[in-house]
Amino acid sequence: MSIKRRAVALGLVAVAVAVALSGCTDSANAGSGKIVVVGAENEYSDVAAQIGGKYVDASAIMSNPNTDPHTFEASASVAKELSTAQLVVQNGVGYDDFMAKLEKASPNKDRKVVVAQDVLGLPDDTKNPHLWYDPKTMPAVAEKIAADLGAIQPSHKAYFQSRLAAFNDSMKTWTDALSTFKQSYADTPVAVTEPVADYMLEAAGIDVKTPWSLQAAIMNDTDPSPQDSAAQDALFTGKKIKVFLYNQQVTDSITSHFLKLSHDNDIPVVGVYETMPTGYTYQKWMQAELDALQSAITSGTSTEKL
Amino acid sequence: MTGVQSVHAALGDFLTSPTVHTALIVGGFVAVVTGVVGVFTVMRGQSFAGHALADLGAVGGSGAFLVGISQLWGFVGAGILAALLMELIGIRRIQGRDVATGIVFGFGLGLTALFLYWDTTIGDSSNAAVSVLFGSLFVIDPGVIPTVVVLSVLALVIVVAIYRWLLIESLDRDLAIARGVPVRLAGILFLVALALAVELSALTIGAILSTALLIGPAATALLLTRRFGVAVLIAAGLAVGTTWIGCLVSYESYYWSSRHDNWPVSFCIVALVFVTYLAVRAGSALRRRSMSAAALRDGVPTAETAV
Repeated sequence: MSIKRRAVALGLVAVAVAVALSGCTDSANAGSGKIVVVGAENEYSDVAAQIGGKYVDASAIMSNPNTDPHTFEASASVAKELSTAQLVVQNGVGYDDFMAKLEKASPNKDRKVVVAQDVLGLPDDTKNPHLWYDPKTMPAVAEKIAADLGAIQPSHKAYFQSRLAAFNDSMKTWTDALSTFKQSYADTPVAVTEPVADYMLEAAGIDVKTPWSLQAAIMNDTDPSPQDSAAQDALFTGKKIKVFLYNQQVTDSITSHFLKLSHDNDIPVVGVYETMPTGYTYQKWMQAELDALQSAITSGTSTEKL
Repeated sequence: MTGVQSVHAALGDFLTSPTVHTALIVGGFVAVVTGVVGVFTVMRGQSFAGHALADLGAVGGSGAFLVGISQLWGFVGAGILAALLMELIGIRRIQGRDVATGIVFGFGLGLTALFLYWDTTIGDSSNAAVSVLFGSLFVIDPGVIPTVVVLSVLALVIVVAIYRWLLIESLDRDLAIARGVPVRLAGILFLVALALAVELSALTIGAILSTALLIGPAATALLLTRRFGVAVLIAAGLAVGTTWIGCLVSYESYYWSSRHDNWPVSFCIVALVFVTYLAVRAGSALRRRSMSAAALRDGVPTAETAV
């Protein structure tokens, strides 16, 4: 069914692209002189905006923190947005497959595409697609963005490079906090619903007790096995974990069951997000999630929503 | 040795898991009802209506996700409404039956697609599609057990209350009318019982697969016996057996690969239903062949040789 729906979406896209290409491409880049940047997810467009500063007009395709990005379907308006883009930033690893299809549907050899997966040199079968939680990801992606922006507008190359340096400096708050955290709280046992923040937890030395097969089942919208559910239940009822990290954006009867278990057993909850919540920059968002984790461990405070 | 031990350990594990308890209880009740109602359904030639009702229940199931009520009520509510609608359109007439069912059924599936789309885009029930269409016997909330039991008993009571009417009508509709059987009322009541049975099984093994549990054990039982009461008992027994063994197979499949992913329990159940039917079918074909061979030898014409 999903394949069929995508086929329909692609059909719509083809029409929209044809309309867009015939009409408004010229006006888009010439007018203001700003580089049009589209991020598949809003954390990527945020970083691109930080690097591009006043010479960039950045927007995001997925930015609603209340829906599940895994079930996102591209609409015709998305295709229109993409057709005018000079730089596109996307995640890869199957997380935003629709982007590659849309780009193919509106070929434009001047458009540059930054794929985080390719920047990091990750294979297609990488199990956890939530790359932006890895502290190594954004500095590498930002460097590529700065280089591409410099290639699009060579006269502002130095400007983009200085913004990149500022970005890398501001990332230090979070990465330093991560290493301090690791010294004090390494091996703290936690439970999760999905592997959303797993890269950050790994960098912080946290011990994720939830079976991988359960995380994968919830992430891929399949039913978890009774064995894995029982193992996860035991983590709560036996109070074997200090924190429960739960994906705000993907909830169903299973995740609410675990949320209830953590309330019943006085285990603090930290809500994690797949797309950047409103009112945050990428760095502040990552810092806020780490802070929430830390106060859950030290004072048992729950931060269910940022 | 270690193999025996691990099998024992796994079985102990199976029988002590609370998830499995819920699955066996809910699955067991649903299987009895579907098996019994299935025999009437096959005899009355309403398999397609049964399948359509299950898929129409999916409208309610997916709608329930959207408004955040229990899937069970979504299934049952939509199923009964659909049954009444199909009766209204004219399911009684043989000529109109398939068309009426097909029209309502197609529209229902379309609505299901819309609701599932909203479930994942507006709501955040991302696995609604898997759960509604393919069932999740292992993720059923134990809180629905009493409701499932009450609705199962209700469906059985309806069928028992009207079974004489149904039996006469199935044999000869004109005779039934001549004898004063309220065929219209019987038909409506049966559709309600059928809706209850398929919606309950849609909750457990999914809207798409519940037809298998409705038709499979009943068809198998009717191959094994011509006696109606016995067929009902065999169908119920087969349905319960395949459901429980299906649960066990799905549970055990966790240990078959290092990835620790279970084969869906719905698949295990319908696969067993299918294999059982094929085996019985093959068995009865063999028996018939040896019977007709014996008849030929003895020079006695049988139904088979005559045809």
